[in-house]
Amino acid sequence: MIGAACAAPAILRAEVPIRLGLTPVFLDNDAEVISRLRLALGQGTGRPIDLVQRRTYQEVTGLLLEGSVDAAWLCGFPFLQHEESLALLGVPIWRRAPLYQSYLIVHADDPAQGLEDLERGTHAFSDPDSNSGWLVTVSDIVRMGARPDTFFDRTLFAYGHRNVARSVAGGLTRSGSIDGYVWEALAQVEPALTARTRVISRSEPLGFPPFVTRRDHVATEAVQSLRRALFNLADSVEGKAALRLLQLDGIEAGEPALFDGIRARMQDLENR
Amino acid sequence: MTAGGFHLLRGMPLSLRVPLIAAALMVLVGIVASQQVLSTLSTVQEARLRELARLHVDGLTVALGPSVLRRDVWEVYDTLDRAATGQAGQRMVLTVVSDDTGKVIAASDPLRAPMDSDLSPLTEGAQPIDAIRLSGATDHIRVVADLAYQGRSVGSIVSELDVADLVAERWWAGLYLLAGNTLVTMALAFGGYLAMRRMLQPVARLAGHMGRMEGTLQPIPETDVPKGDTELAKLFQTYNAMSGAVQAKAEAERRLADRERFVSLGRLSSSLAHEINNPLGGLLNATDTIRTYADRPEVVRESAALLDRGLRHLRDVARATLEQNRMDRSGDRLRPEDFDDLRLLFEPEIARQNQLLNWDVEAHTAVLQVHPAALVRQIVLNLLLNAAAAAGSGGTVSLWVRRVPTGLDLRVTDTGPGLSDAARQRLMSDDPVQPGGGVGLRLVRDLAQQAGGRVAYTRLTQTTEIAVFLPAQERPC
Repeated sequence: MIGAACAAPAILRAEVPIRLGLTPVFLDNDAEVISRLRLALGQGTGRPIDLVQRRTYQEVTGLLLEGSVDAAWLCGFPFLQHEESLALLGVPIWRRAPLYQSYLIVHADDPAQGLEDLERGTHAFSDPDSNSGWLVTVSDIVRMGARPDTFFDRTLFAYGHRNVARSVAGGLTRSGSIDGYVWEALAQVEPALTARTRVISRSEPLGFPPFVTRRDHVATEAVQSLRRALFNLADSVEGKAALRLLQLDGIEAGEPALFDGIRARMQDLENR
Repeated sequence: MTAGGFHLLRGMPLSLRVPLIAAALMVLVGIVASQQVLSTLSTVQEARLRELARLHVDGLTVALGPSVLRRDVWEVYDTLDRAATGQAGQRMVLTVVSDDTGKVIAASDPLRAPMDSDLSPLTEGAQPIDAIRLSGATDHIRVVADLAYQGRSVGSIVSELDVADLVAERWWAGLYLLAGNTLVTMALAFGGYLAMRRMLQPVARLAGHMGRMEGTLQPIPETDVPKGDTELAKLFQTYNAMSGAVQAKAEAERRLADRERFVSLGRLSSSLAHEINNPLGGLLNATDTIRTYADRPEVVRESAALLDRGLRHLRDVARATLEQNRMDRSGDRLRPEDFDDLRLLFEPEIARQNQLLNWDVEAHTAVLQVHPAALVRQIVLNLLLNAAAAAGSGGTVSLWVRRVPTGLDLRVTDTGPGLSDAARQRLMSDDPVQPGGGVGLRLVRDLAQQAGGRVAYTRLTQTTEIAVFLPAQERPC
């Protein structure tokens, strides 16, 4: 085993790496999480893993669609936007379910109790292609019968759920739309940050940001290898360590129906 | 220093004044040095702040230029927030970035400077980076700088700097300097005081010696003279030489005064010889008469009476002469009889020169006895002899003596031509006596001064008057 462990890096260096695109659907600023994930997937696939990070969902989606990455950890919203080209590879299990929520947060001292109290304020979205960080709040505004472009006085995109928390905690904006899973993970690793925010609204459970690939790449050895490695993360020491850092239970094959809630919100937005 | 302080300082002993002045100068030097140190510290601190602020702004300008141009609120905030978090010591407590219209894009603390708010309240009192000054005790200062990108201004950066540590550093430096300078100055001043006092000790000894002499200069013993060829040793030696010279002069003057007494008697000797010789013829005739007419009692009685009057006159002349010679050794007080003696001694001289004497003395015993007899007699006799010599044959000499409220007024007048320049100099000044002249008038001046009196000289149309005022004295001088 020792010999295998020593030989592995030489083998990994020799192989063509599997390229996995990452978005801020998790704490992508944590170098240890990135490192652990690369190591676990590398061991799982037997190939080197090239984790490709970009600032926006759109950039990663673009890389995926053009074939610059083999797979990507995307949000359900861009997955549905490009559903005809993309296929599900796996869905993380968080708190025993492949679901998460979008949180509406304000500063800890803010008296607001719901979205309706935030009208005419300043608001931080995560990304225009984020479900929890944009779609949920905008569709809620539409469902309230208001206009998303005038409901808030001023909005900004922070390009990262952690940034949304920083924006609200620091007082840059009054409120923010954030991935519930990221907020809860932050509450574990950066409690001082989340303590300065308060969750005033939680969405219904929605499909957890999935690992996706291009439909025409599903059968490739790299993608299949990656799928196996993702499903088997909980079986290896490195995989368990990565899952523990990600605060996930594991990754399982998911059904597109998981994302029906997101799909409904997309339709509400289109039908306004 | 005020006039009172200056006067107080002037009244102090030299051994205290010089160290105090040295200490004051050291305090002054300490204050100036402290001011220099604080000024330099302030300059260094300001240079540090300028450099820090310049680096901060330059770094932000590079990082924020494109974001400000795009008015990307999050990027600006993210940069400011990370810069603030990563900053050591938290010198920059607030940084605000505005666009070119003066609207806040983002701040490191959005609660203090919300986005889209007006920047102008934050620029009040803000200093340009190149002109940063640390003044007063404020813990925070604001600096403002242009945010230039691609050669044009796209906004402004206002930063608030926490300078509490620098202010405290300056305060402590001032305190340490004050305490240190106070201690050092006190130590130096005390050391300077001891050193100065030691250096000035011989001067103090010399001053003390001079203070103890009570009118008589006494040489300083050789054992007390500082060793070596120093200025002080020369000073001591000069003082000793001077005291010797003064003593020699005093002795010479005393001898001169003694001699002058004999001189004045000598000047009278011719007249006195006649005064004795003239009655001697009559007395010898009387003795012949007695021998011739021994059997005629009435002639003998008359001749004996004549002999008695002549001998009594001779006795008076001899007594007056002896008295004049003896007077300076006695503590006798002046009496009216002293003026009678003077008249007795002086009248033969008047007669010899066929002069007229006006003798006007109005003073009782009680008035005269507050003056020493020897001194007044010498003064009057000298003045009378001088007047007789000046008046010449057939002239008139007058003596006028009156009591005035504070003393005795003596005036001797003659009908002579007046005092020559040399004689007036001897009478009226302390200039050295020129060779060739007498010392009688100078002795008058010296004796009058010795008695605390004064001499006046007046030349009228036909007469010359020398007046001497002698203040009343309670005890013999």
